[in-house]
This record gives sequence, C-alpha cells and structure tokens, in this order.
Amino acid sequence: MASALHAERLRFVYGDRVAVDGVSFAIAPGEVLGLLGPNGAGKSTTIKLLIGLLRPQAGSIEILGMAMPQQRTAIQSRIGVVFEEKNLYPTLSGRENLAFFARLFGLHDVDLDHLLERVGLATRGRDRVSDYSKGMRQRLTVARALLNRPDVLFLDEPTDGLDPVSARSIRTLIREEADRGVAVLLTTHDMYEADELSDRVAFIDEGRILALEAPEQLKLRHGQRAIRVRYREDHEVKEATVPLDEAAGDQLQALLGREYLLTIHTEEATLEDVFVELAGRRLE
Amino acid sequence: MGGRANAVATIVAKDVRLFARDRFYLFISVLSLVFFGGLFWLLPASVETTASVGVHLPGVESLLEQGGRPPDALDDGFGQPGEHGLEVVSYGSSSQLERAVADGEEIVAGLDFRADFLERLTSGQPTTVRLLLAGDAPEALRPALAGAVRELASAIAGDEPPVVVPELDEMILGVDRSDAPLSMRDQLRPMLIFIVLLMEMFALASLVAVEIAQRTVTAVLVTPARISDLLAAKTLFGAVLAFGQALLIALVTGALGHAAGTVLLALALGAVLATGFGLLAGATGKDFIGIVFVSVVLFIPLMIPAFAVLFPGTPALWIRMLPSYGLVEVLLRVSGHGDGLAEVWQHLVALLAWCVAVFGAGTAVLHARLRRM
Repeated sequence: MASALHAERLRFVYGDRVAVDGVSFAIAPGEVLGLLGPNGAGKSTTIKLLIGLLRPQAGSIEILGMAMPQQRTAIQSRIGVVFEEKNLYPTLSGRENLAFFARLFGLHDVDLDHLLERVGLATRGRDRVSDYSKGMRQRLTVARALLNRPDVLFLDEPTDGLDPVSARSIRTLIREEADRGVAVLLTTHDMYEADELSDRVAFIDEGRILALEAPEQLKLRHGQRAIRVRYREDHEVKEATVPLDEAAGDQLQALLGREYLLTIHTEEATLEDVFVELAGRRLE
Repeated sequence: MGGRANAVATIVAKDVRLFARDRFYLFISVLSLVFFGGLFWLLPASVETTASVGVHLPGVESLLEQGGRPPDALDDGFGQPGEHGLEVVSYGSSSQLERAVADGEEIVAGLDFRADFLERLTSGQPTTVRLLLAGDAPEALRPALAGAVRELASAIAGDEPPVVVPELDEMILGVDRSDAPLSMRDQLRPMLIFIVLLMEMFALASLVAVEIAQRTVTAVLVTPARISDLLAAKTLFGAVLAFGQALLIALVTGALGHAAGTVLLALALGAVLATGFGLLAGATGKDFIGIVFVSVVLFIPLMIPAFAVLFPGTPALWIRMLPSYGLVEVLLRVSGHGDGLAEVWQHLVALLAWCVAVFGAGTAVLHARLRRM
C-alpha cells in the first residue's frame, strides 16, 4: 500500500545542537505510528518539520503524494494537528474557536455540533474556553484537528497531563480516525499509550530513530519473557523468575512439584524495557 | 473570496472579536478617547495677550484739572486697553493696590508712584516708583513695566526719552508666528491625537504578543493561512483601529476644521507608523510586562516632538529627526496655524519615509519571530 507519509533522512540543527539526525519512516493510511522518546529526543521537532512549521536542512518529506514544504498549502489543507500546548483563544467560545479555524480552511458547512459531540463538548460549546478544564481544552484541540476531515493526523503528546477519562476519550477518537483510514503520527513519552494505540512504534533518542517495529515485535526482539512464581517455603513467601528459554520447562516443573505455590504470572518486557535496552536510559 | 483574502478577513474578524472582548483594550481605548477629548475642551481656547496692571498715581486728577494730558501719557506708556500689551487699572491708594496685586484676580502687577512723583518729575528731580508683582506674574513683565514707566515719565515731563531708542531690525528664523500665538488647546491637540495613536500601538502589540505567547499563531500557521496573511491581517486591523481612534479624537478636538484632507492623510500615515511600532513591540515583548516595557521605551522618544511644540522656537535637529515629528508638526501647523498641504508637504514626506522604515522593520521582525516558532 502506498504510504500516506514518507520521511527520508530528515535533519535539523538548532545552533550547534542536532535535534533531528537522519530520521526516516513511513506511515500507511489507517496506520498509527507511535514516536516514542524522552523529552528533548527530537519528537516535536520532527513533527514541526512534517507539518511545515520548520524547513528541514536535509532530507525529504512526502505527504499524500505531495512534497513538503514545496506544496505546503495543499498539504496543510489535508492534515490535522494537535499540539502539545492547548493553543486556543481563551476569550472565544469552543464553538467560535472551531468556526474560526474552519473558515481558515475555507470550510463553511462543517457540522460543528457533531464535532463537539464527538469530543464530549456538546453542552459546553458556547462557553468560553477560559472556563474549560485542561481536559476539555485538549478535547477541543482534537476537535479542531478533525475539522477538515484530515487524511493525516499529527498528535503531539495528545493526552499529556490529562485525567484517565479524558485520556481514554481521546484515545478512542484516535482509534476511530485510524479505522476511517487516517494515517496517524503520535508522539508520546507514555509507553502504555504508545503500546495501546500504535500499530508500529519508533523509538527516537538524540534525534535518531533507534528502532521501528510493531510493539509486540519490539518486545519479543529486545525484551525478556519470563514467568514469575511466588511460593511459600519454611513459612516464608519467596519469589522466583523463570526465563522462558529452553530450560524453562525443567525449572518450572521443579517449582510446581516441590513447593506450595501462591501465584504464577507471565512477565513480558514493556516498551520502557525495550527503550532502556536500546538507549541505555529511561524514557522519563 | 479568494483563499488569501479569506484568510486575512477571517483573522481580522477574529482580532476584532478578541479586541471587543478584552476589557483592558476596551478600557484604555475608551478612556483615552474620553479623557483626552475631555481634557481638550477643558484647556483655554484663547491666548491671553494683555496683562492688567494696577497703578496708584497720586495727583493725576489735579493734573487733569490743570489741563495736563496724563491719560495720553499713560497711553503712551502702557498702550491702549484691549490691544496686545498692558491694560491699566487705577487705584486710589497704595494699600488698595497692594491688596489687589496680592489677590491676583484683577491685576498681575502694580506701579505705586510716590505722592510727590509728578511734582518731582516736573521739577526735574529724581524719583522712584515701587513695582509690585504677583507670584505668577509673567517674567517678561518686569522689564516691560520698567520701560513703560520711563516712557511715562518722559511723556509727563514733556521731554523726549533720554536716549533715542535705535530702530531694531527683527529677523524671524523660520515661520513668523509672533503675531499668531496658539492657544493651549491648539498646542496640545497634536499631543492628544498622538497619545491616542500610541494607545492603539500598545493594544496591537499586546494582541500580537499574546497570540505568540499562547502559541495560537502556530495553530493558524498549520492551516492554509500563511505568515504573510497573518501580517496583512495584523497590519489591517492595527492601522484601521489606530486610524479610527485618531479620527474620533481629531473630530472631538476639531482638528478637521481646516484642510481636512491633509489632516486625514497625516492621521493615516500616523496610524501606519503606530502599527509598525505595534508589530515591533509585539514581536519583541515576551509577555504583558515585556510589552509594557518595550512600549514605554518607544513611547518616551516618540512623545518628545509633541512636548517640543509647546515651547517657542524651532525644535532642535535631533527632535526634528524623530519619527513622530512630521505628524506632530503637520497637525500643529494645519489645525493650529491654518497652513495647507503646500506648507507641510515636506513633513508628510518625512513621515511617509518613517512609516516605510518602521513598518518594514516591524513586519520583518515579526516575520522572523513567527518563523522561529
């Protein structure tokens, strides 16, 4: 399938600091690609390059068959962006904010009520954004990104700092859009969110992509699978971890036959573990 | 409507809405109009060119009875009442004169002649006159009264003045305004209009800075709208807002009574100048306090020409080089002195040059700031 977005060897330098260094990836229609990395790893700069706010100093970007930044206006009319900041006009209502951006897209027949309903703001659309909670503002920025029914969505930390309910409603929306065929680039430092939403995950650190695969594959390839057993021995609770390798059968057999077992859990590597193995440091 | 025009119109409409909903912007805009418009009408509308001087001159009545001509002499000394000069009010005693000078309502100075003044004068003996001055008497009154007393004495004595006063060749450098002094209203009118323009400069700067600080501008720039659309919208909004406010204050202060086209042209250029400074301040200030700081830094030198025209004489060269001088001078000369386009065109050209420079700098700095976001 032709990719909706293709970035090739992107490079961007702020002064003497290399922010993005040879980044390459592609996203297919309907695919969610999670860009996972710690703060300052180059996630936001990569997004800024892709949406046309920065011009790459090297490399190329193709979105929906068009070159960025050469065909920036045409591309921007078909993409949606959720910024990390809740950059809305606080003295305008939620509905007025959406109407303003809809007019910038040249759209005059957007069903704003339906959009507000999708993000759970149907009853608060006429309230000023200054009266919104952080979660409501973030949901409104998601609604703004969907105004033009985009073919590619760029989501920069869309659930950062949100309560679990708001975060879940935003994840549901992202999944719905991907199911509609929208290509989604999601940057986050939340490994659980990336694991839940992403079809593939790219680890980025110091401007370079360290690995790019489906979360499951990454965990299988770089993590260690094991079984953790808690058991009682001599009136004490003890714990043993049995790696799922060739010798696992014998070790488990010994534990099962010998002791009074309390719990048995399979233990998988997390994306965090994978990142630590790849980058040598934690995500946070 | 085309895409670019649609984007510009949409941003302008949004800015108008933001402006109308911001109580601070509205407050300073309405306040400046009401305050400065009201202040204008509280200022004196005419120029006081006659100083009233009290005189106590014992024996003047008997001199009249003897057929003398002291009133003419007084006229010679002090000039005719109602002309530009000194108006004489006669008092019957020294104490009455002293009280009147101290009171300061009817007269600002007094000449208290000795009881034997006329007698000693006509007999050729030296004599003295007591000069009484109120605390707020004009500085120039003292030598004027001294000269008037000498002339009076010569006239009463029937002599020519002891010396022939040489004729003076008067050379006026610049436009001769000596016979047409401006009232306080006319002098302050350019300052009031310019302050209103600067208020709108501050409002625009604040609007731009808030948009940058809240990063709403980045959300705009990932739509089909371009930086140039944003700059055009801010320019249009700022210039129309500043021109509208300046026009209102000009109407309130009667600045359009003469050569309205020239005044409107000056106001339009002034609005563009204020917009350029507004964009500059908005692009450099990081937050509200930053905007206030940058605005004050710009405000002070820009106000200097408006203060300079309050004082007689041509302002110093460095003042005439300031961006706001052309605007102030045009407003002063057209609405104050009644000049027309032919007399002030060179100031309009200088103002236009400053508009191009300041507006160019403002848009360039803001453009660079937006590209760095």
